[in-house]
Amino acid sequence: MGVFFLRRLGTMLLTALVLTFIVFFLTNLQPNLEKVAKFEGNARMTDAEVASWLEKRGYTQPLLKRYGEWLGVSKGWTYTSDEGRVTGRCIRDNIPAEEAPQRCGLLQGDWGQSSVFKVSAGKVVSEKLALTGRLMLWVMLLMVPLALIVGILAGMREASVLDRTLSTFSIVTTATPEYVSGVIFIAVFTSSAVGLKWFKGTATQAMENPTFENFFLPVLTIALYGMGYIARMTRASMTEVMTAQYIRTARLKGVSFGNIVMKHALRNALIAPFTVIMLQFPWLLNGVVIVETLFNYKGFGWALVQAAGNNDIQLLLAISVVSVFVVLVTQLISDIGYVYLNPRIRIS
Amino acid sequence: MENRTTTGASIHWAAEMHAQEYRDGKLSRREFLARATALGVAVPAAYSMIGLAAPARAATPVSQGGTLRIQMEVHGLREPRLYEWSEHGNITRGWLEYLIHYNNDGSFTPVLAESWETSDDAKTITIHLRQGVKWNNGDPFTADDVVHNFNLWCDGTVEGNSMATRMGPLVDPDTKKAIEGGIVAADEHTVVLNLPAPDITILAGIADYPAAVTHPSLNGGNPVDNPIGTGPYMPESYSVGEKAVIVRNPDHTWWNEGNGAYVDRVEFIDYGTDPATVMAAVEAEEVDMTYESIGEFIDILDGLGMVRSEAATAATIVTRPNQSAEVDGKKPYEDPRVRRALAMAVDNAIVLELGYAGRGKPAENHHVSPIHPEYAELPPLVVDPAGAMALMKEAGMENYEHELISLDDGFEKDTTDAVAAQLRDAGFKVNRKVLPGSTFWNDWDKYPFSSTTWNQRPLGVQVLTLAYKSGVPWNETGFNNEEFDKTLTDASAIADADKRRVLMKRLEEIMQEEGVIIQPYWRSIYNHSRPGLVNAEMHAQFEIKYQYIGFAE
Repeated sequence: MGVFFLRRLGTMLLTALVLTFIVFFLTNLQPNLEKVAKFEGNARMTDAEVASWLEKRGYTQPLLKRYGEWLGVSKGWTYTSDEGRVTGRCIRDNIPAEEAPQRCGLLQGDWGQSSVFKVSAGKVVSEKLALTGRLMLWVMLLMVPLALIVGILAGMREASVLDRTLSTFSIVTTATPEYVSGVIFIAVFTSSAVGLKWFKGTATQAMENPTFENFFLPVLTIALYGMGYIARMTRASMTEVMTAQYIRTARLKGVSFGNIVMKHALRNALIAPFTVIMLQFPWLLNGVVIVETLFNYKGFGWALVQAAGNNDIQLLLAISVVSVFVVLVTQLISDIGYVYLNPRIRIS
Repeated sequence: MENRTTTGASIHWAAEMHAQEYRDGKLSRREFLARATALGVAVPAAYSMIGLAAPARAATPVSQGGTLRIQMEVHGLREPRLYEWSEHGNITRGWLEYLIHYNNDGSFTPVLAESWETSDDAKTITIHLRQGVKWNNGDPFTADDVVHNFNLWCDGTVEGNSMATRMGPLVDPDTKKAIEGGIVAADEHTVVLNLPAPDITILAGIADYPAAVTHPSLNGGNPVDNPIGTGPYMPESYSVGEKAVIVRNPDHTWWNEGNGAYVDRVEFIDYGTDPATVMAAVEAEEVDMTYESIGEFIDILDGLGMVRSEAATAATIVTRPNQSAEVDGKKPYEDPRVRRALAMAVDNAIVLELGYAGRGKPAENHHVSPIHPEYAELPPLVVDPAGAMALMKEAGMENYEHELISLDDGFEKDTTDAVAAQLRDAGFKVNRKVLPGSTFWNDWDKYPFSSTTWNQRPLGVQVLTLAYKSGVPWNETGFNNEEFDKTLTDASAIADADKRRVLMKRLEEIMQEEGVIIQPYWRSIYNHSRPGLVNAEMHAQFEIKYQYIGFAE
């Protein structure tokens, strides 16, 4: 078990290192740097101004040197202006140049400054992750039980009327993308045009003060889309289990149908949906982009769009690290989960 | 009437002359006010010179307290002279005040400057500062602070400092810094600007949003981190892209105490660029006023019971070819015939109808508005698609495929689509490309053929200097014309708008002859506020002076 964890941790670190280097390389291509300069300096700067802006901020150093700065293994850049004022990567928060640390990168716990949000990238990521985490929590709480119930009900008697009805429902929800269902929900449930006005059409206030009224629609929009998929997987798995030899044996021995479903079929039928559910975490982390934009809920997905749109190097790197972490941790959990669902699987 | 000028000095000769012109019907009320107040005549006196009563301030009693929620994009902030959005200025307006303020009727009112005079030759500008003003850290506000700010504004070595362009002859072209002896503190409350050449646009320049007056201790920093200012408010929190909260400063006595600072708390909430989201926010009762209401949403917001306010402006959209842009090794728009052909094929009135639902006035492809004091009327533009095609053939460019770029946003997109449609009708090949805001603005001045929105500036020469003089940072057309530059420099030295108009006529003609831009229309701009909100009207330069906004009693 210990070796297994260590190996997983090693994979995680290596993946993060490779991925961040790729992101670093792509975000530091020359046109992207010009974009950074124009975004941070002034959108209407001339080429000469851009060049001098980049030079004064250490962007003209070799790529590997700057990647090293980000990691915290090489010294941060400094620049001395004509008037003798020293600026540098590690010189900020009114700390004089002499006292500022020489290195400030990931190893020193410093995620760098986000150019879009003007605060530490680590702070942005943790705040946004908390907001999206809250959205994800409610989505999971709504989506998973609903999907399992629908899937099991549909799968326990294949081809029954109940199965056909529920299957149609799950296919329809999965086939409707969020940007369609979200817009329909907003139009029907929030606008004066229809007149229902049950909910709020934006979730902006939900960032500080989530209520059923302003938070339910985004949750429902995501949950419905993901639900059909899990329900279909559960149904397939359930129908397969229900035709297994041991279920027939149980029936012949006179076990009641309810008991067969709850005690004998359910646990075996949950293995496949469990993987799918765990895979929903990474999907949710980035798949919420559309819903967050639609409902103006400023979480992780929205931050990712802002960072990518404005080539916010530090923030994109921080987001990559977090994404690698989330994907691998959830997969780790699902691997461990299998052991409990299926005793034949061993972690070695 | 005593104290007829803002300084108490006698009225400038040109102002008296303009009053006569107004009476003769040569000037509109707005033009007269803009010129008279720029010459130092107090607003009530200016109105009385032409026999009108000055409009009274809103008579509705305003209650103290409350939270004002404003829909507005919250961009990353930086030091004021680097501001590039009116939104930047609106955030800091509550603590970083301006010397003078531009009003919708074209006049200027004093803020931190109590009065100002322009000498007859327009080479000396004297600014008298308001006395008894204190910074919120307790320091007195003096002429030295203003000199410090002028020096900051004049510093062209700082990348992106657009104030340097507005400071005109005060900036030394060699050092790119303020000229020696140009900015002088005559006494504790008087600043004198000695210009080497006459310039009439400086006063208008210091009323613009990057000209917020900052404390010396700001030192290039972010005004949210170091909120020392003269105004009654201070920032509480600032999250880019989300929200900015500004609260009344309890430890500071504002110079205008009692005449404003009504609400306790101001929240600027960012709902992105999609007007549908803004509408949802209004319906959810999450905002009290909008920054700007656009297009079809103007009517929708009316329908939701919001109060509409309109400001006629010299704000505009320009669809321009870039004369120096290279496409596949060629400069397609170098030939004036090509540019003229493009302009000739477009009927500006139709673009206004299709692109902006007729909410404005057709423009004349020279970027000088009838509300600018020196506007000269030219013969109406001729729309001639057949002639345009002939001209294009003459230039040998009839088979060239034009790529017309615009922002993927409301009226910018619609307007550019309408221009493209008319170009296609004339037989040109046009390929449309829309870019999101985050990409579009990175190269806005480099695209070979694209649309750009321009905010208004009080004087016609200002706009031309900012955007069409050879080699200036915001010259997006690549226009480089010796006669134009020279005439413009001459015109900028004439304080009297009538004399200036003679040169302006030539400038306008050059703009049209050279086919520099297709300028379909002048926009009227709108915002909406909840009933009962006082002083929340739209400002022609998008300024939201929240220190004067409050809820009616």
